Amino acid sequence: MNELDPLLGYLCLAALLFTCGVVCMATKRNAIGVLIGVELVLNGANVNFVAFSRYHPNFQVEGMIFALFVIVMAAGEAATALAIVLNFYNNHSTVDVDSADELKG
Amino acid sequence: MPDLSEKPGLLFVLATLLPLAGFTLLLTVAAIRWALRPYAAESPTADAVFKALGGEVTGRGPAYVALGSIALAFLCCVVGFVWFCIDAAHMHHLEHDIRHYEAEHAEPHHHGPGKAKKKAKDEPADEAAKEKAAKAKADAKTKHDQNVGDYNRLTKNWEGALEWARIFPSKDNVADTKHGTLLTLGFRIDMLSAVMFVMVTLIATLIHLFSIGYMSEELQETVEDHEVHTAHGHYHRRGRYGRFFMFLSLFCFSMLNLILADNLFQIFVSWELVGICSYLLIGFYFERTSASNAANKAFITNRVGDAGFIIGLLIVWTYFGTFNFQEIFSRVRCPERDADDVILINEKPAGHSIVRAKTDRVLKTGRFVKLDSNGDVALIFPRERIMGNVPGHFHGPSSTTAVHDSPRSREYGFIPYWLLVVAGLGIFLGCVGKSAQFPLQVWLPDAMEGPTPVSALIHAATMVAAGVYLVGRCYPLFTPEVLLTIAYIGGITLFVAASIAMVVTDIKKVLAYSTVSQLGYMMLALGVGGWTAGLLHLLTHAFFKALLFLGSGSVIYGCHHQQDMLKMGGLFDKMKITALTMLVGVLAIAGTPFFSGWYSKDEILVAAFGFSMTHPQHFLLFLLPLVTAGITTFYMFRMWFMTFTGEPRDEHVYKHAEETPWVMTTPLVILAIFSVGVAWGWPPHDPEHSWLGQQLHHYSQPAAVDVDFKASHELLHGTPSYHTMVGMLALAVVAIGVAFALVLYYYNVLDPNEAVEQFPGVHKFLLHKWYFDELYSALLVRPGLIFAHWCSGFDTIVINGFVHLVAKWNMFVSYVSGLFDKGIIDGSVNLLADVSYSVGNWLRNVQTGYLRSYVLFLALAAMAIWMLLYAWATAMGGP
Amino acid sequence: MDDLHPYMFWLIAPLTGLCAIATVITQNIVRSATWLLFTLAGTSSIFFLLGADLVGAIQLLVYVGGTMVLVIFGVMLTAQGPFITMKTSGAEWAISIVAGIMLFAVLGFGATHYVRSSAERAKETVPENPKDSRNSTTIGQGLLGVPVGPSDPKMPSQTIHYLLPFEIVSVHLLVVLIGAAYLARTKRRKEEEAAP
Repeated sequence: MNELDPLLGYLCLAALLFTCGVVCMATKRNAIGVLIGVELVLNGANVNFVAFSRYHPNFQVEGMIFALFVIVMAAGEAATALAIVLNFYNNHSTVDVDSADELKG
Repeated sequence: MPDLSEKPGLLFVLATLLPLAGFTLLLTVAAIRWALRPYAAESPTADAVFKALGGEVTGRGPAYVALGSIALAFLCCVVGFVWFCIDAAHMHHLEHDIRHYEAEHAEPHHHGPGKAKKKAKDEPADEAAKEKAAKAKADAKTKHDQNVGDYNRLTKNWEGALEWARIFPSKDNVADTKHGTLLTLGFRIDMLSAVMFVMVTLIATLIHLFSIGYMSEELQETVEDHEVHTAHGHYHRRGRYGRFFMFLSLFCFSMLNLILADNLFQIFVSWELVGICSYLLIGFYFERTSASNAANKAFITNRVGDAGFIIGLLIVWTYFGTFNFQEIFSRVRCPERDADDVILINEKPAGHSIVRAKTDRVLKTGRFVKLDSNGDVALIFPRERIMGNVPGHFHGPSSTTAVHDSPRSREYGFIPYWLLVVAGLGIFLGCVGKSAQFPLQVWLPDAMEGPTPVSALIHAATMVAAGVYLVGRCYPLFTPEVLLTIAYIGGITLFVAASIAMVVTDIKKVLAYSTVSQLGYMMLALGVGGWTAGLLHLLTHAFFKALLFLGSGSVIYGCHHQQDMLKMGGLFDKMKITALTMLVGVLAIAGTPFFSGWYSKDEILVAAFGFSMTHPQHFLLFLLPLVTAGITTFYMFRMWFMTFTGEPRDEHVYKHAEETPWVMTTPLVILAIFSVGVAWGWPPHDPEHSWLGQQLHHYSQPAAVDVDFKASHELLHGTPSYHTMVGMLALAVVAIGVAFALVLYYYNVLDPNEAVEQFPGVHKFLLHKWYFDELYSALLVRPGLIFAHWCSGFDTIVINGFVHLVAKWNMFVSYVSGLFDKGIIDGSVNLLADVSYSVGNWLRNVQTGYLRSYVLFLALAAMAIWMLLYAWATAMGGP
Repeated sequence: MDDLHPYMFWLIAPLTGLCAIATVITQNIVRSATWLLFTLAGTSSIFFLLGADLVGAIQLLVYVGGTMVLVIFGVMLTAQGPFITMKTSGAEWAISIVAGIMLFAVLGFGATHYVRSSAERAKETVPENPKDSRNSTTIGQGLLGVPVGPSDPKMPSQTIHYLLPFEIVSVHLLVVLIGAAYLARTKRRKEEEAAP
């Protein structure tokens, strides 16, 4: 049990990060805030990957490689998202995501 | 086409068809002209044809066509008439011989014992005598057979028929089962129709000739009608010369066809045809309200009569199964003899009488009858009893005679007596309408709106006489009750009309009422047994009334369409021919001795006298015509004096008056000659020996007349002094009438106006024509209108109300149904839609468009899915 | 080091968690970004603690260095007065927090469940010395196509290498960057066109 306790801690931390990211996305009206939430979620996932690469024999390399992929993707995502935000800002003169309600039913 | 010499009766058929041909020709030409007129301006061909057919103004062509056709018809009739007179005399002799032979050689089974004794007495006679007798008998038989053959051949010469429509009766035994019931176009010439033919065609020819002059105004392209006022002055129209003669031709055809017919149905068709011609010609100036009203009045009044006619026809058809006169009469009147002997009923010869009976025991196919002069049925006799060769063995009626409900032609049948009376009254009602008798006389004076030649031809000489002709023709069908009705109707009519004629001032109206009155004389004569007298009066009247009317037409024409006698006077100098010819007419109608009217009127009065002598309760039937004879004289002379003598009352009319051209005076002269001499005979002082009357009496009078009025005739024959007495009485009355007229209107000893002032009520009563028009208006027209209004009100209120109610009820039901539709049907659909919509609308709220809420939903959904999967896995027994 | 591991974890993990919570709670976007920076740094130290040195380093370089710069730039480009703090309504907060707690509970339950259920099965398979196979060399070889990692005892011939994913990610990243540049530029060009 001693050996496994750390994994549970990491998993809980990852869950906390993930949850925080989701809540952040749900509560922030600022587009950048939403982006921040996404980063938090991705970080939570990364913590999971790395934790399993440490504590699960099958994922020793894969966990880290996937974490790396995630980081890279996050960077690209951040760039794209920022570009979108800037465009959004140009169009709406605001970064309030609530004003982007064109999808409203 | 059969040779005329084989079938000379066709001469009369030809005479009938000639005017029809004329009419057809004129109608065709008129139709072509009418069709071409709009194109005449455009197409040269059409213009040429249009011009060739007369152009805008037809000219006198139509008149020549019509006159030519009727004149040819007249020639045919004259030839036919002469021919027929010869044949008729021959047939009369043959018939006499045949009857004589039959009476001699009958085998009297009924009186067997007497004959048997006679035979026994004859037995000892020698052989030679016997042989001689046998030879004589054989000779007589041969002669008899030859006679019968000749008789039948001659009869066939003067009759013929064309099948028209064959109607199979609903009850196959009503009529001849072999042939069904035939409607035929047939002709049968007897002396009456032959004489009528000559009379009608002669008068029609003369009137055609007269019309050529009288109607010449219609030759103009534009005729100004002074009596029709429009917003632009007098009414102008195209001349109607051709149309007039076309109608005249059609009328001549119809009238001749009526005389020609050998059956009631053909008569009815012609009857209606003359009715329509009368309508068309009364309404010839139909732009005048009075003319069109008069035409309608004539037509409608005649419809009343025709309704009765149709009832009569239906009864005849139902019970006799035929319309043929000979067949009807031979079935309704008892034959003189059966196969054995003269038929006796109550020990008296029953030939030519209507035999009444009581129905006795009822059989399967009919019943036994008991002969009874007050019985409730009349016998219908077997039909096939052709003279000379009685087929089968025919027995006269007896107490053991079985009658059939619907008899075959060789069987006895019966008709309820009251139905026979109704049939007679119905047919007589038709005659009442056509001849303008008492209840229906109102149309004839109004009919004077037509052109005067029409009044002369149709409303004086011929058509109105058709009613009298039909009564004479159908005489054997009439029961004593019907004959009495006819007599009384005639009596009332002649007096009423004559009384009105005394006060009328319109020259044509005087003649119209005189016509009605004279027709009443004829009816009266027919009803009291003066069959010959009535029809002779019909003929003589036709001539002198045509003369009088044409004379009045000449006066009217000469005075430029002035008809009021109060504006005439002293015209004798201006129009001598007219005045003298009219004087002849006046004398004739008054009954001056040796003028035609005298012969016939005297005979009528004698017949009426005989009747009232034998039936004292009906003395009015003699008194009325006698008094009216004086009245007639009075008003006719009044008319003549007012028109032609004295001081001119209207200078304007007098100044412009002039004698009419020869086309109009020639017919007057010819008619005057006939008016004087048409009834002459030898010796001329005895009205009974009028040649025409003798012809009618011998060759045409139904034997039934002598049977029905046996007592009256025997009385008159038995006491020749009655003739003289009645003649003297009549002359005295006439003299009184003349005297009154002279005093009042010629010598002006008394002022007529003063006389009028003495009896203002009577004068007013007469002037208003006995208030017949007012009476009918109050009794029939007004109630009719009220009833019509009531019907209309009923329509508006009840029918419309009901319809509206139904409509409203429908609307209500529709409304409820609509509510149901809207509420339940639409409601459920709408509810579904609303629910869908509101759910959608509510779900729409989920689609906030907010990124953040999507994220939240995403998270929650993921959680939910995970929890579901976990719960499922747990439930499946997994860890 | 192994002895210190739990302590280090319990030191770093709560800090990281708190920083993450602070990131969420903060209304000011600039502060939020700053707290994110700290969270990312904390995460990278967690990676280090787990012995994933390369990942931790890259986390620091790419994330804290690159991504954060982008975020900060974004904040700076858009952060005009009213947008720095945009408050969310209390109800939204409540809903989000409840949802968040539920999510956390579910995830935590799942993690605990997993750890418990796999405890007996995975006891022997826990690597004794993970460091041997978790160095940068191994990872670099794996990315370049050299088979790395433990071969499956059941299928010895099967080895795993990550060249193709690496290439795909590279191309993907390139596309993303070009797209980002394009997107970021589009509007501006339009404005230039509209200006004259």
